Amino acid sequence: MTVHAADAAPQDAASGTSKWSRAWQNHAPGYLFLLPWFIGFFGLTIGPIISSFYLSFTDFDLLTSPEWIGLANYERMFTNDRAFATSMRVTFTFVLFSVPLKLAFALAIAILLNRGMKGLPLYRAVFYLPSLLGASVAIAILWRQLFAGDGLVNQFLSIFGIVGPSWISNPNYSLWTLIVLSVWQFGSPMIIFLAGLRQIPQDMYEAASLDGASKWRQFWKITLPLLTPVVFFNAIIQTIEAFKSFTPAFIISNGTGSPINSTLFYTLYLYNEAFSYFRMGYASALAWFLLLLIACFTAFSFLTSKYWVHYDD
Amino acid sequence: MTIDAPKLTVVTGAENDPRARLRKRIFSVLAHALLIGASILMLYPLLWLLAASFKPENEIFTSGIWPSLSWDIDSYFRGWNAMRVSFTVFFMNSFVIAFLCVVGNLIACSMAAYAFARLQFKGRNFWFAMMLMTLMLPYQVTLIPQYVLFRDLGWVNTILPLVVPKFMAVDAFFVFLMVQFFRGIPRELDEAAMMDGAGPWRIYWKIMLPLSIPVLVTAAIFTFIWTWDDFFGPLIYLNRMQDYTVMLGLRTFVDSTGESDFGGLFAMSVLSIVPIFVFFLLFQRLLIEGIATTGMKR
Repeated sequence: MTVHAADAAPQDAASGTSKWSRAWQNHAPGYLFLLPWFIGFFGLTIGPIISSFYLSFTDFDLLTSPEWIGLANYERMFTNDRAFATSMRVTFTFVLFSVPLKLAFALAIAILLNRGMKGLPLYRAVFYLPSLLGASVAIAILWRQLFAGDGLVNQFLSIFGIVGPSWISNPNYSLWTLIVLSVWQFGSPMIIFLAGLRQIPQDMYEAASLDGASKWRQFWKITLPLLTPVVFFNAIIQTIEAFKSFTPAFIISNGTGSPINSTLFYTLYLYNEAFSYFRMGYASALAWFLLLLIACFTAFSFLTSKYWVHYDD
Repeated sequence: MTIDAPKLTVVTGAENDPRARLRKRIFSVLAHALLIGASILMLYPLLWLLAASFKPENEIFTSGIWPSLSWDIDSYFRGWNAMRVSFTVFFMNSFVIAFLCVVGNLIACSMAAYAFARLQFKGRNFWFAMMLMTLMLPYQVTLIPQYVLFRDLGWVNTILPLVVPKFMAVDAFFVFLMVQFFRGIPRELDEAAMMDGAGPWRIYWKIMLPLSIPVLVTAAIFTFIWTWDDFFGPLIYLNRMQDYTVMLGLRTFVDSTGESDFGGLFAMSVLSIVPIFVFFLLFQRLLIEGIATTGMKR
């Protein structure tokens, strides 16, 4: 390739083709290496996004061709769909409780581990294992068992004479079992926190303690402010993941969001609309609304970040 | 990386004060007690699952909360053949899919990452930003048109919808991970190779890839684990039992046996996470570094 170019260049140096061939030389390899990605990006991402935007204004059952119905899908979502409202409430409850709790555990354990504890690699591995396994169907099955009426949790409570409810089949508690499952997987944000804590210069603590600042004060005045970029990052990733969570709710509720829609995650509702009832148009509208939610959340986080995230200048 | 080196020693100015040392000691004991307690709490459900899978059916729920040991492997045999199609088929399917996804991701993502990290071309930053945006994209928004596309191609009930996208670098996480790694490889190496007349393809193949084994292994393991774990994709595209993955098989097991064969269900649940656990044991350090450097989700 390069040899060929060296031959060709002097030959038509004055003509326009050399410009083109040089441009080809410079840019083509990049595009060639990106070719698989481009095909995927346009064929499997951008194309489908546009297509699902169109479908969200149609009535489409997979068998007959989509029929344009204007804003009817969106209208139904906001005026005439109790299940949609329920799924929003369930999902927001899940996000609002699971993400902060998960991050709090992750940060607390990371700070403890960062104090030069012996056996750090072992602890880190133990705390990380659940987040590696947690998305698995097997773990959701285990969770169903733990929180069943005769499950492990209630057997444990009975030692103290407490008769626990059937957590999974009680609509007041079923969502909480999923929140607990999510918090149990705090390992990966913990590892990111640990990496962030290592970046904080030690001399800041040394200077602070020479000045007589307590550990508690050091945490609030040094650790937390310097860690805000990591907190910010973790919060965004975990929130998006929480919005997209599907498998545990599907397995624990047998794919229905039961009992009485108390675990009807947004994704679960969307899946059922699409693949149980074949309301593809409506499901596309749901998907676009989810995209909008996540985009707004992300944009909002970035816009407000300058007020609370500490960046080195 | 730097994660392993415990180095926080707060200088109190009174290092040799016996009372300060005692305080430090007490703190350390308390911290370990707390961490050990938390570790037990974290691992207990997993240990219970393991213990339950080795118990005779009638003892699973009667033996209380303390894991008592017994070595009855009957559940494993029962569970393995509990359904019309045995778990041999499910495991084979899962392995084939996971293997192909690993191959696809390694090829396509490393090519894309090489272009982003090293090659000069028009619009590079723009496309890189686009790639990062797809990281945030919820898969639901492409789900239905993709399904229609794959249906029209006649790919439903085959593994193609699960595998082919990986050959198009749709997992932007790995592109990002590899870009980060490639940027750390000294540029002098490819510049020297270019002086010797090597083109981009040779540099990619002979310099970048051999120097990137750690990141390639990390990407391979994560791809394997995520594909192995994936429930949603197979749920949508695979409808015939002989095509099921392990995760779909497990879910069908829950539905079909309902509340009858817990031993078998637990045994198969344990087996379904064994491959992940093995990778965890073997490559724990790489996984943790991978997460720490990119902040991946799991």
